[in-house]
Amino acid sequence: MADSNSNAMIKVQHVYKRYGSVHALEDLSLEVLQGAVYGLIGPNGAGKTTLLRILSALISPTSGQVWLDNEEVTQSPTAIRRKVGYMPDFFGVYPDLTSAEYLEFYAGISGVARRNLASSIKDLLELVNLSEKRDAPVETLSRGMKQRLCLARALIHDPRILLLDEPASGLDPGARVEFRELLRTLQGMGKTIVVSSHILLDLAEMCSHIAIIRAGKLVIEGDVEHVIRALGGAQRIEVRVLERAEEAIQTLKDMPEISSVSLERDDENGQVIHAEFTGNDLALHHILAALLAKNVLVVSFAPLKAVERLEEVYMNIMEGVPSL
Amino acid sequence: MTFSALLTKELRSRLRRERSIWLIIAYLCVLGLLGFVFLLRANAFSGGSRVYLLSQTGAQLYALLSLVQLAWVVFIAPAFTATSVNGEKERQTYDLLLCSKLSAFSLLTGKLIAGLANVLLLIVASIPLFSLVFFFGGVAPAQVFAMLLICVMTAIVAGTFGLFCSTLFQRPNVSTAIAYGFCVLWMFAYWVVYYLISSGTPPGNPHAIAWVQGLNAWNPIAALNSVVSGGQGVVTNFTFFRWHLAPWLAFTLISLVVAILLFLLSSAFVKPNTPGRFLAWMRLRSKRMKPSTA
Repeated sequence: MADSNSNAMIKVQHVYKRYGSVHALEDLSLEVLQGAVYGLIGPNGAGKTTLLRILSALISPTSGQVWLDNEEVTQSPTAIRRKVGYMPDFFGVYPDLTSAEYLEFYAGISGVARRNLASSIKDLLELVNLSEKRDAPVETLSRGMKQRLCLARALIHDPRILLLDEPASGLDPGARVEFRELLRTLQGMGKTIVVSSHILLDLAEMCSHIAIIRAGKLVIEGDVEHVIRALGGAQRIEVRVLERAEEAIQTLKDMPEISSVSLERDDENGQVIHAEFTGNDLALHHILAALLAKNVLVVSFAPLKAVERLEEVYMNIMEGVPSL
Repeated sequence: MTFSALLTKELRSRLRRERSIWLIIAYLCVLGLLGFVFLLRANAFSGGSRVYLLSQTGAQLYALLSLVQLAWVVFIAPAFTATSVNGEKERQTYDLLLCSKLSAFSLLTGKLIAGLANVLLLIVASIPLFSLVFFFGGVAPAQVFAMLLICVMTAIVAGTFGLFCSTLFQRPNVSTAIAYGFCVLWMFAYWVVYYLISSGTPPGNPHAIAWVQGLNAWNPIAALNSVVSGGQGVVTNFTFFRWHLAPWLAFTLISLVVAILLFLLSSAFVKPNTPGRFLAWMRLRSKRMKPSTA
């Protein structure tokens, strides 16, 4: 195996995938650490689903190598399928079956031992909070319930790696929160999870690492903070003041740690100022002290969370900011 | 385990649908009604030698019910199998099957048996109706058995061809249409070819159309005719090397071979990217050959 992080559960090395003249993936390399929740971000057609299908041994790369838990995907697809639970971006359910029968079927074709079947199904239905729907036909389940049932299906053979393609798409906010909690539980169980999504806020909150893919190429990967710093440059702070906004803006502009300042909003709750900032916590303290010294009525003063900036970074990339 | 899980799921899904029950009820009603109307008419024209008429009525009733059964089997079998694999693709469950330990053989066997189970259920459900002909006489139990065998083999061939189409074509309506087209051709090709050949052949040249008779060896209607007529029908025994085979036996053996071939072809096509896998296999083979030739 090529030299790389020995703790990596998934290694993708210089993978190309072509469909005729279409280049779905081009020289894509990335690593997913064991126990990580790894987010794949990219617009439609970026190659996220192609990558997940390669990882689940459903298709082979045109060239390059993919290793899952020290096994090469194209060399041992059967062994890979035992280790991977794949949840595609569609439900793929049989409406005539009940929830328990649906799981029983997939347990059967995944080689789960018959003696463990009943307890596995019971535990999984409990995990995804569908115990009450055990004998309900799948067609009567709501979209969120079907999504959770599909996740239970992907878990039926207790895989070490979970590949989730757009798992939160089409879910209402409540169901999305439930789903996010479920992924946290699975992470706590030691599963390595790769999840693709368009809902950036969800990804940023649930993922330890993210990769941004555009036109089959990896733009950047790493932990969320690292990606934002690398692409967005300076950190951003938000200052809400009740009055004397002009003086506050001038004070901020005079600070050496501040690179740019803008008035974002001006409403009945006061004025909101955003400023690009490079520095440490002590520098932040100095900036706040300077504002208070000028008698600016500061209501709130805080650096923006990384997740709140992810969407902006993503949009920059999609609008053509050169890849790093 | 994987095969039995698939078969259980298929049977659950198919037999749970209301239309499966209605199909059996409708079939038995149509068959019973036809028999009843036939008996009414036969009774109305009865007279003279009663014993002769009863046995003749029994044989005619048997012929009528057998023909209806065969037509029904040909009509039903492709419907149950022609969408079995591409239906999974349309339902977006095919990838999930590929992710499992299910082999191509298990997948196809499960689909075929589940599809044919519906047809076999119809055939079995009709047995009590067929037993009525024994009241009238004129039909031997062996004839009924041979007729049932022909229906089962017809169902297997039509079902396997439907399965083959479902692996070959992406769209279920295309595979269904082609499977039905094949069944119509299979049933009536002999008569079309016979008509075309005989109309262009000078009278008194039996050799020119002799080979066309060979087509009858794999024609369900011809095989059924030979059974219904007790070997006195339009088709006589076939000679295969040194063996003389009754038409129903020749039909059964050929159908078995065709069904196996279609099943093997389906196995080749059921997994994705068959040409790609074939090319990869060829490349691997040529790599292995090179050292030995060097």
